[in-house]
Order: sequence, then C-alpha cells, then structure tokens
Amino acid sequence: MRNITTSIFLLLCMQISSSVASSDRLVQPALLQSEMDKVLLLAIDKAGERLVAVGEQGAIIYSDDGGSNWLQAKVPTSTLITDVHFFDRYKGWAVGHDGVVLATQDGGERWSKLLDGAAINALRVDALKESLVRLQSDASTDQEAYELMEYQLDDAQVALEEGPSTPLLDVFFLDHEVGYALGAYGLFLKTVDAGQSWIYEGHLLPNPESFHLNKIYRTKNGNLLVMGEAGVLFERDDVGESWIVVDAPYQGSFFSAVESDALYLMGLRGNVFRRTEGDASEPRWEKVDIGITATINDSVVVNGDAYLVGQGGAVLRQEDQGFKPFSQRGLRSFSGVEFSEGSLITVGEGGIGKIQLDGVVK
Amino acid sequence: MKQLSTILLWPITTSEKLAESFLFGYRKFLICVFLLITIGLAWQAAQIRPDASFVKMIPASHPYVANYIRYKDDLSGLGNSIRVVVAAKEGDIFTESFQTTLKQVSDELFFIPGVDRSALKSIWTPNVRWTEVTEDGFVGGPVIPPKYDGSAESLELIRTNILRSGQVGILVGNDFRSAMVQVPLFDKHPETGEKLDYKEFSSLIEKLVRDKYSSEEISIHITGFAKIVGDLIEGAVQVALFFAIAFIVTMVLLYLYSGSVMGTLIPLVCSLAAVIWQLGILNLLGYGLDPYSMLVPFLVFAIAVSHGVQIVNTITLESATTGANKLDAAKHAFKTIYIPGLTALLSDGIGFITLMVIEIQVIQDLAVAASLGVAVIVLTNLMLLPLLMSYAGVGRNAIAKAKRGIEKTNSHWHLLSVFATSKGAIVAVAVALGLAVLGFYGSKGLQIGDLDAGAPELRPDSRYNLDNEFITSNYSTSSDVFVVMVSTPVEYCSRYETLALVDRFQFYMRDIQGVQSSISLVDVSERVTAGLNEGNLKWRSVIRNQYVINASLSYVPAGLMNSSCSLLPVIVFLDDHKAETLKRVTAAVEQFAGEYGSDEIHFNMAAGKAGFEAATNEVIEMAQYEMLIWVYGVVSFLCLLTFRSIKTVICIIAPLALTSILCQALMAQLGIGVKVATLPVIALGVGIGVDYGIYIYSKMQTYLQQGHSLSTAYLETLQSTGKSVAFTGLTLAIGVILWTLSPIKFQADMGVLLTFMFVWNMLGALILLPAIACLLHPEYRSLKVESVS
Repeated sequence: MRNITTSIFLLLCMQISSSVASSDRLVQPALLQSEMDKVLLLAIDKAGERLVAVGEQGAIIYSDDGGSNWLQAKVPTSTLITDVHFFDRYKGWAVGHDGVVLATQDGGERWSKLLDGAAINALRVDALKESLVRLQSDASTDQEAYELMEYQLDDAQVALEEGPSTPLLDVFFLDHEVGYALGAYGLFLKTVDAGQSWIYEGHLLPNPESFHLNKIYRTKNGNLLVMGEAGVLFERDDVGESWIVVDAPYQGSFFSAVESDALYLMGLRGNVFRRTEGDASEPRWEKVDIGITATINDSVVVNGDAYLVGQGGAVLRQEDQGFKPFSQRGLRSFSGVEFSEGSLITVGEGGIGKIQLDGVVK
Repeated sequence: MKQLSTILLWPITTSEKLAESFLFGYRKFLICVFLLITIGLAWQAAQIRPDASFVKMIPASHPYVANYIRYKDDLSGLGNSIRVVVAAKEGDIFTESFQTTLKQVSDELFFIPGVDRSALKSIWTPNVRWTEVTEDGFVGGPVIPPKYDGSAESLELIRTNILRSGQVGILVGNDFRSAMVQVPLFDKHPETGEKLDYKEFSSLIEKLVRDKYSSEEISIHITGFAKIVGDLIEGAVQVALFFAIAFIVTMVLLYLYSGSVMGTLIPLVCSLAAVIWQLGILNLLGYGLDPYSMLVPFLVFAIAVSHGVQIVNTITLESATTGANKLDAAKHAFKTIYIPGLTALLSDGIGFITLMVIEIQVIQDLAVAASLGVAVIVLTNLMLLPLLMSYAGVGRNAIAKAKRGIEKTNSHWHLLSVFATSKGAIVAVAVALGLAVLGFYGSKGLQIGDLDAGAPELRPDSRYNLDNEFITSNYSTSSDVFVVMVSTPVEYCSRYETLALVDRFQFYMRDIQGVQSSISLVDVSERVTAGLNEGNLKWRSVIRNQYVINASLSYVPAGLMNSSCSLLPVIVFLDDHKAETLKRVTAAVEQFAGEYGSDEIHFNMAAGKAGFEAATNEVIEMAQYEMLIWVYGVVSFLCLLTFRSIKTVICIIAPLALTSILCQALMAQLGIGVKVATLPVIALGVGIGVDYGIYIYSKMQTYLQQGHSLSTAYLETLQSTGKSVAFTGLTLAIGVILWTLSPIKFQADMGVLLTFMFVWNMLGALILLPAIACLLHPEYRSLKVESVS
C-alpha cells in the first residue's frame, strides 16, 4: 500500500515538475509541422540513402524518396538545431542552440537528448579548473598562459550562472564513437563513447580570443580542419594531439570547406580560396573569383565537381578550377546542401529545395 | 387574455378616439403645424453628414475589440495606413522616368494632411536602408544612392541596393515592375487634435496622386482602410440617385393604381415628409448617415407609401360605395385604418428595435433610424394624410374607377380565392411545407461573415478590390491581418522568456491551415542576431542571454512593441477572412494561450482587420438566433393582442417564417454570408412583412364576423384590400430593388434579400394566409351566407 502511495506521489511530482519545466524550450518537445516549406532548415546529411534535415524549433525531418516526401522526427527539445551528422544509416547526432546535443539510433526517426548547455557549462568549468591546477603544479608555466586560463575560468563561471546560452554550430564523428561538437565563443567538445560523455577541449585550441568555431572538416589525407570567425583556421594531423594555427588567406570568417580536385575554403561575401600546395605548416592559397559576393555556407561534391550554395539563393558549380553560377538565383538563402538521386537537395530559409542535375552534370 | 389585451390596447383605442376628434376638429391649424415642423426638420435634414466610423462597424463590447481598445494607443503605428503602388505598365522600375514619378508620388503623399510624415516609407525615403555584412562589420546606406543621377549605372546601383535592403515583396514588387509607398495616417492629428476626414483625405489622394500620375506608362493602385471608407462614402452618396428613381417609379405606379392626381401626390408628399422628419430628427439627435443607415430613408419612404395607399384606397372605396363626402370619407378611412395601421407600424418599429440585441453600433444606429422613421410615419401618413385628403378628396375619376371595379364580379381575384377552399388550402399548405423543407436543405451551406476576398464591403470588381488584388499578387503581404496582442508586465516584453514563448507561438501558428506567415519582435531579434553574427543563418534564434537580446533590439521598427515594453503584437497574415479560417485561427490561439499562457505572459486576441472580423462573426453568430426569437416573439405577441387568437397568429406568422427560411436558402445559394449588413434584413423583412398579414386578416375578420364563409370573406377582402396589398408589395420592392445596383456590395446584398422578402411575404399573405386559416378554422367553411356586397 505504501508503495502505491509513494509511486502515486512520485508520479504526481513528476507531472508537476514536467508541467513547470515544459515552459523551457530545452525540454519542450518539438511541435509537429505539416508543411516544411516555411520552416528555416539549416543542415542536411545522409543516413545511408535517407536524407535528414534539421532546423528551427527542434524540427528534424527525413525523406526516403530523395527529398520528395518528408516525415518529421520525434525530438525532445525545440531549440534551433544547427547541424546534423550521420556516421552510418542508423547512428546520427545533431547539435543546436542552448548547447543541445541529440542522438538517434534509428536513422533519425526518434532522437534523445545527450547533453545541453547547462551540462556544457559545468564541463567547461571543471575542465578549466583541472587545467589551472595542472598549470599551477607545472613549474614551466608562463604567467600569461596562467592568467588567460584564470580569465577563461572566470568567464566560464559567469556563463554557468547565466545558463545554457551558447549555441553549438557543428558536429562531426570520425567513427561511431569518436566525435566533435563545436560552437560559439570557442566552444569545442569531444566524445569517445558515441556522445554518452563529453570532454571540454576549447582551451586546448590556440584560440585565446574565443572566436566562434563554425565548422570541422576532415580532409582526404585524414587531417582535421577547424574553421571559425576572423580567419580562425586550425589543423591537426590524424595522429597528432595538438592543433596548429594555419596561416589563413584572409581575416574573415570561414563557414565551409570542400575537397574536390583541391581543398577549397569558403567564407564571407564570395571569398573562396583554393589550397594549391603545401601542408598545414606552409599552405599556399589562391583566391578564386566566383563572380558574386554571396557568403557560401555549404558545399557538396558530385562526380568530382563541387557545388556551392549560400546567401541569397546562390548556387555555383565548379568548372575546372573556377565556379560558375548554376540555376536561376532566388532570393532566399541556402544553408546546407546534399546530393541525392540526381538532384541537389538544399535547405535554408525556404525549407527544402530540389535542383535537378540530370542532363547538366558533365 | 381578453382583459390583458384590452388593457394593453387601451392606449391605441383611446388614442384613436382622441386623435379623431382632435385631428378633424383643428384641421387647418394642424396642417400648419405639420408644415412648420416639416420646414424646420428639412433644414436639419439638409445638414446631415455622411459618416463612416471604423469602431462603429465592429462589436465594441466583444472581448477582442475590448482588448484592441485597451491597447489601441500602443498599436497605433500598426493601425491606419494606406498603401500606394506605382506600377510600370511596360518594362520595370529601373528607368529614369519611373523613378522620377515614384519620387514625385512619395513627395506628394508626404504633404497630404493626416499623413504621419516621419513614418512614410518608400525606397526614396531616407528611413529605408540597405545593410550588408562585411569583414569589417555592418555597412549600409539609403536605397537611392546619394549620387543618383538617373544614369544606367545609378539605376543598376538602385537594383543592387533594393536586393540588399530586403525590400523585395515589401516596398518593391516581386517582379520589379512596381514600387510601393507606405503611408501611415494619424486618426487624430497629434498637434491640432483634428479627426481625420476620410472623405476629404480619400478625394485628395485621388486628385493629387491617382489622377495626376496615372498615364500611358504608369498605373496607380491604392489600398487601405481610409480608402475603403472614402470609397464607401462616395458610393453611398450615389444612393441618392436611386432614391430619385424610386420616387418617380412609385409616383407613376401610384397614379396608375389610384387614377387620382391627389391620391397620388398626397401620399407621396406625406411619405417624403416622413423621410424629411426622420433625417431631421436623426441629425438633431446627433446621428450621421453611415452606409448602412443610408438605406433607411428608402424603407421609410416605401413603408409610408404603402400605408398611404391603404388610406387612399379606403377613402376611394368609401366614396364609391356610400357616396360619402371628402371629409366623411377621410374620417372613415382614418377610423378603419388607424388601428391596423398603428398595429402594423408598431410591429415594424418593434421588429426594428429588436436589432438592438446585436451589439454592433452600426446595426443599433440602423435600428434607431428605422424605428424613428416608422414612428414618424404614424404622424405623417396615418394623421396628416387623411387630413390633407379631407380637403383634396380623391377625385371623381378615381371614384368612378373604383365603382367599376366593385361591380366587376368576375375579377381575377377569384383565382386566388381558391386557396380559401379546403382543396386549394391543402395544396397551398403542402407546397409551402415542401418549400420549407427545401429551404431548410438549401440553407445548409449558409456561412457566417464575409466570403469575398479583399474589401468585402465593395464589389469584387470595384477599383479598390482590383487594386487590392494587384498588391496581394505582387507583394508578399496579405491584407487579411490578424493581430494577437501579447501583454506582459512592464519591461518584460523583450525578456528571453517572453520572446522564446512567442517564438514557439509563431511556429505553432504557422502550421495552422489558413495562416501564411507572422511577424513580431521575435523576428527582429532573430534576424538582427544573425546579422550581428555575419548574417549566419545558424544564429537566427532568440539567444538565451539578455545582453544579446537587448543588443539585437537596439532598433525596433514602429508597432512591434510599446514604449513601456509591456505589449508585443504578433501580426499574423492569413490566406483569407472566411469564417472557417477565422474560427480555426482563434481556436488555435485559444488553445496555445490555455496551454502556455502564464501570469506574466497573456495572449490577447485580437486586432487587425481579420481580428475584428472574427469578433464580428462571433457576435453575429450568437445574435442571429437571439434576434429571430425576439423579432418573431414580439410580432407574434402583437398579433395575439390584436386578434386574440393563437390560430390567427399562426395564419399571419407562418407565411413570414416560410419567407425567412427561403431567404436563408437564397443567401446560401448566392454565397451571401450572414453579416452586419444581412442580419438586419431578416428583422426588417419580418417587421414589414407582418403588415400585409395584419391588413388582410383584419379585413377578412370583419367579413367573417358579418357571417360570410371563408372563401367569400376572402374574396371580399381581396377585392377591397388585396389590390392595395399587392401594390404595397410592389412599392416596397421598388424601393429596395434599385439597391442591387449600388457600388457597395452589402447594399446590393441587402437589396436582393429585401426585395425577395417583400415579394414572398406578399405572396405568403395572399395565398398561404387564407389557406392556413381555412385548415385551422373548419367552422368557417360550413357557413353559407351569401355575399352582400
């Protein structure tokens, strides 16, 4: 009898707490939308042949027919989801505002929350404290590095009080266990257990000014490239543990990278750069004139040629070593692009878009 | 029952005796008094002003409207504005001549009184800017380059700037072939406190903008509430012409009917006097004429004429049958007509008064105007008219004509009297029942509210609606705006909690069928946040950090929050304003408010055109049946008092009910919704329709009491008053049928429905009434007393 009473009491408590908590978007399940064409979508990836796109208010949608019909996934939060990454046809991760990290085991139909900004803030404080202790005990520490760490810890403690406000902007997994999530103000997280636990590593990057980190990209030779605000460009080889500052070709932001015949970096206002030779320590960049001043947000390689999409409906196709406008330009910006069944599938301000490549692909 | 009715009818019966001795005792004196009053009121009537007020057309006591009125001052930037579109007929807007015209139009509008100059917007005004993110931060400038010189390069620069400004679909047409000037207006001038004169403003816009700048190359399109009101007033004035036509047609018919010059002129003059009195008293009471009450003079005129006809008819018959002199004939007519006339007018008036249950000012004003009009008819047509006739007489020709009519036994009325025999009655009642069933079935699709796109007050092909169509098809904004007012404690409207909830609300609303899009402070915060982060779409969210939010709201366009930051309007754009859509939207808002609203954050409905329509629809839907119950209740009660028999009440009311049902079916079939304009029609139709029944039944009763069988009594009735009833139906129909030509859609709708009701009520009284009487009173059938006429 007492057990029943207790469980009823617990049940009541749970309901009360859930109804109180439901006023926060971190725990409000995403609302279902019948039409996705008005929804802001930010990123798209493939889970096997399935397309999965993410965006506004916790919206995650998937399509099994090359982007014609979409279903909405069950998502436990309703923050703006900024990126999605699938390792295989089942396992995927998504990140978003308020530091949300989500995971799916069934190819994107149901998602569960692994982490949020409150937990990230705590991880950050712990990591910085630990680091500070290490610096303290290490005699070779220079004063400046120590002060910087102290400053960062102060900052982290303020953030802890302010709440989970830092957005994650990108997620990438090397295999089904090791992955990275990065975001605003130098936020950088690593997991080695498929996201069950996370390690804060923002302070390990050479990013003393805490610039936003927009994108992590793995090049063909296995190196990792981190891109961000104000010309932030870090590289790490596939075995290395430390990040090297790459001499950036300009001091604006980078949003995307793509490797077709060479590695291209895309940034603000039509700034596209091609890495002609050299490695991380001694790169050589060549500015590519793409003819428009739109910011390029994402790219995909189809048959060896890169397609770029971006601001103001810009779509460009690689022709040899240059890029030419492709398809009629609209007004709404594109944020992400994938290739499926002979078409480019775009996401952005106008939801899903489809651009047929049949007949125009070389 | 008998006692009660005696008591209640005492004033009427007593007034009859008093009035008779008084009226006919001081004939000359009274005619002078009437004349003086008429002159005085004519002077008043001449001063009556056309009037159209926005607030009067919406239900002021409805919670939505009450909310709107509470927050009205904070919403002012949102409210009253007009949109002027300058369109190129050939080519696009990137020519020197187009830009010159656009600049001139923009400047011209700037100087029109009533315009809120600081908020006027076009690509030529300095408050419209483009911005762009560069590596160095924001850069920006006015859309028209400072060094604009009309050259190809500077026009190209305008094109670039327009694209960068994000004004495509807002101030520039989606196809780059037109550009818009947004012109916010002051309802009240902030300095002089003067109210905006819509008529004046609308005609100024026409003169200074449309007429001046329309050309071979340029077309001008104007929309906005001020323009609708202007067009309504202008259209309503045309109605005066219809009045003249109705007057002349009535005059001709009246002469053909009576065959008497005096019998034509005197009812017309008296009826005109009724209209003058009505308008004069309205002006004295401080009422104006809005497009709804504009129609009341027609009704008053038509009702007055129909009562006048009854009196002239009675005088003629009296003179013809008894050879009475002018004075005695007039006295006799007064005595015969006074009680049924007064009862009929009373039921008209009370029928109209029941419109007061609808809490929409224009309808209540209409009720006052119509009741007033009916009241003055008692004086002008039941009293003044017999007085004048007692001097003028109907003339020998008319009397001779009437004599011939009476002697002609084989009149066409025999055909109708068949309905007073049991066979005919069964057929008639069966057909009526069939029609009722059909009517019920046909009225299934009857909708609440306005169904047409654009400004439903005006015709779909009116210039305004064509302009509106042009703008909605070329710009990304809908004219069906529904505003949800989110209220919070002071300084709370831009808090993270508020914005995050409103963000969710907008996302939720976007999925409601019929919602196109929405905009609020949240969109500003999200877009500016993204802008401050290099335009990166991944930042387009409400950031959970008050400093970031505050930075994003350093510049907020007018109307998206109030100065104390306690109100945050969410402007929802809808596909249309069909009742169904509005219901879905209000239900959705209610559900969200119930689920997520808190002590701090309230979701209040509703402002905006669609918001008011939603409120109006709710009021009308409720009032619809309430009003029917009242009007039928009151009219039935009056009939019961007069005739003291339930059966008689059924005889009189059943034909009216059939007409009401058929009218609803007609509305459903014609796609006319139940709305502010059509709701009064039912009350007017029933109120006026009951007249026929009362006249016919009271006459028939006299014959029955003389011992005639029903069919004989009925034939006698038809021969004496049937003609005048038919004529009355015709006069009333003529009075309203011309409205169908009105440029104002709702006047046309009212015209169609009233014509239908007047004609059907007449047929009902002539055919169905005796049929029902025949079935309900088997005892009358067996009486076999021959006619004595």
